[in-house]
Parts: sequence; C-alpha cells; structure tokens
Amino acid sequence: MDLLNYPQPLADLISSLARLPGIGPKTAGRLAFYLLQEPETAEALAQSVLKAKEKIKSCSICSNFTDQDPCAFCRSERRDRKLLCIVEHPRDVAALEKTGEFKGLYHVLQGVLSPLEGIGPEQLTVQQLLQRLEGVEEVIMAMNPTVEGEATAMYLARLLKPLGVKVTRIAHGLPVGGDLEYADEVTIARALEGRRNL
Amino acid sequence: MAVYQADALVIRSREYGESDRLLTLFARESGKLQAVAKGVRKPTSRQRAGAQLFTYADFLLHRGRTLDTVTQASPRESFPHLWNDLDRTLAATAIAELLDAATVREEPQPHLFTLTLTCFFMLAEVHPFLVQSLFALRLLEILGYSPRLEECAECGALIQGERVFFSPEAGGTVCSSCRGTLSGRTLSQGTLAFMRRLAQAEWAKVKRLRWPVWMEQEVRRALQQYCEEKFEHNLRSWRMGNEIGGEGINNQREG
Repeated sequence: MDLLNYPQPLADLISSLARLPGIGPKTAGRLAFYLLQEPETAEALAQSVLKAKEKIKSCSICSNFTDQDPCAFCRSERRDRKLLCIVEHPRDVAALEKTGEFKGLYHVLQGVLSPLEGIGPEQLTVQQLLQRLEGVEEVIMAMNPTVEGEATAMYLARLLKPLGVKVTRIAHGLPVGGDLEYADEVTIARALEGRRNL
Repeated sequence: MAVYQADALVIRSREYGESDRLLTLFARESGKLQAVAKGVRKPTSRQRAGAQLFTYADFLLHRGRTLDTVTQASPRESFPHLWNDLDRTLAATAIAELLDAATVREEPQPHLFTLTLTCFFMLAEVHPFLVQSLFALRLLEILGYSPRLEECAECGALIQGERVFFSPEAGGTVCSSCRGTLSGRTLSQGTLAFMRRLAQAEWAKVKRLRWPVWMEQEVRRALQQYCEEKFEHNLRSWRMGNEIGGEGINNQREG
C-alpha cells in the first residue's frame, strides 16, 4: 500500500495498525478508514489502549499480567498453594484457566530458553521462580512441546529436583477428537510413550 | 524451477508472523536454505512434525520472490533423543549454530551435511559435549581451518612443556618465542593430545573416548574461541552450554 497518497496522520495510523500481529497492510488500511468513519469506536479504542497500557503491569510474584500487584491468582485464598504451573506466556494462563481443571498457582516465564536467539535463564523469570518455592509440593511444566520448550522444562527440572520438589510435565499426544490416521509419526510416538494404565 | 525438493535438516526455527515458522534448512545437495513453513504452530498443521527444529525431513519447497515456502515436509528422522536430555539439546543447538555460522546460503556442502547428520545420530549414545567438540574439529577440517595442535602455528617448531599457549588468532598452538602479544589461552598437553585424537579417531571408536570434566571444559572453550575467531560470529549457544550444561547447572542454582 502506497502511504504517500494519504495525509500524514492517516498514513501513521495505517502503519501503526500494520505492525500488529495478523494484520497486513490492506487490513490495516480498512481498519484505519473504519475508525475514521466511527469516531466513537475510535475514541473508545484509544482510551482502552491507553488505560490498559497504564494499568496493566507484571505481577511481582508470578509475572502474569495484572492491574493489581500481586495478581488475583497470587492473592486468592482459594487456590492450591502446593501446586505451581509454569507457562511460557500470560496467554497460556488464560488457555489453562479456560479448562477449569487447574486450581493451583501459575508462574509465567516470559519465554523459553533459546540459545540460538540468545535467550538464556537470565532473560526469563527463573530467579523469581526459585524464590517462591516455599510450601510448593509439585511444579507442573506446561511449556509448549517444542525443542525449546522441552529444553526449558529439563533445565528447570535440573534446578528444582535437588530442592525436593516434585516436577511433572504435561502430557503430549493426540488431540481430543482427532483421527489417529491423520496424526504425524512424532505425535503418535509421543502418545505411545505417554500411554497410561486403564 | 518454481517447485523443488530437498532432503534437509532443520537447523534453526524461528516464530514468524501469527502461526508460521521461518526455518533454516541444511540440505544434502543445495546447502543452507531459508523457507517459511506456514501455519505450523497450529495443532492442525500437517507439516508440523517435519518443521520441528533438528528434524531430518524430505521437503517440497516453492520458490518465492523473497522467501521460499514449505509445501510439504515428511519427517525421515525426528531424533527423539535430542528432545529429552538437556545436554544433548544444548550440543545439537551448538552444532546447528556453528554450522549456520560457518556456511553461506545455497552453497552445496555434502560433507558437512553427512557430518551433521552423523553427529545428530551419535548424540544418542556418545557424550553430547564430545560429539559437539568432534563436530567442530571435523567441520574445521572440511573447511580447511584445522587448528595446529602440535607445532607452532607461527614458526613451525615442535611445542613442548606441560602448559601450551593456544591462540585462535594465530591458528593454533604457539611457542613461547612467537607468543608476543597474541591473544589466546593456555591448554594442557593432555588436552591437546585429546583434541588430536578426537580429530582423527574413527567414528566407531569415538564412543570409547573418555575425558575428565576439566578437559571437557578446556576443549569446548578453546574450540569456541577458535571458531568465533575463524567465522567472526559470537557462538551464543556454546557460551550457554558452558553456563547451564553439564556441571554448569550447579553454579546457576547458587547464583
């Protein structure tokens, strides 16, 4: 999209929108024109972006996004404090909460170990994790099943096991409702490896 | 040719866009390539298994104007041992980073391909840092950068003494009269002898080689420094391997 044909403020808006994930230059243009035609929506959107930016911060305990420090999970009396689930990003907390199955606390690592990209333990919230293990009996590693996710889980397990904490990893395998025939061999091998007694 | 095939190893994989991955492939016939694997971060993707880091797969690629796209990826070998042991993962990462740093795009390097594939298989049963060091020495040999490990890299004199100065800048060991202002580190004669054995050992015999922890660290650090100098690249995964791999984990916990 040639932004030279637009007035500067509109061109700026389009290029800002195009920087968002999943939004290409064409969609950015459409969104920008829509916002200009709907001033109320534009006003409300601008307000909420500013408000969210101002109020949302990282929880000092679990590093999840929160408007109050500590966050609602870390403050709650109802959560099981013996269980700690480690995830990569704040959006993974939302995904796990949707299941309604987990009643423990969370810890957001803010990424995974990725030596090739220069992300080491000091770029993650590993030190904060080590400082909050009092009373924790089980740590569940819920990182993505990628090489980096596995490496991070193994690294943390090496750190945590000598401290007497039980360390577990979420299962890998076939998706619910999926067809075995269409699954790839790596997934099937993992599913076989992680089989359980009935 | 718009569509082409490649049997290749995935040596780097970065998140790209919403659900894609940008892969660096090392192909048997065409060398290092870069391609986008679309949608592979979604659980429904059919190409997901073939597009994972360290997978050896048959790829069908479509040549694009700026970036090629993966249209099919059928895994041949997914090296499960690289997934479930931290030291092996670190060694494979170090191998992949060095291979990436030492090669340029689309330059066929069949010997390097075979070496990498062999090392990935070897990681299943040989000590990971031994394989990593062996890979570095053999890669240097293939590319013509082998370090001098017996005589002085400057004057050619045979080097004696318990501790020997090793200078990546000079291209290997240096005698005390040539040392001057060269940068480097001192290594024990034992370490140098071990490196010589490692560089020449037959594949089947590598498994039987043994080294103490201090020697392992000396070899890895010397090779890291040497490769960084030769390829003008900061080997981040080698440094991280020194910090968190093997014995390094104890310092992390205390730190």
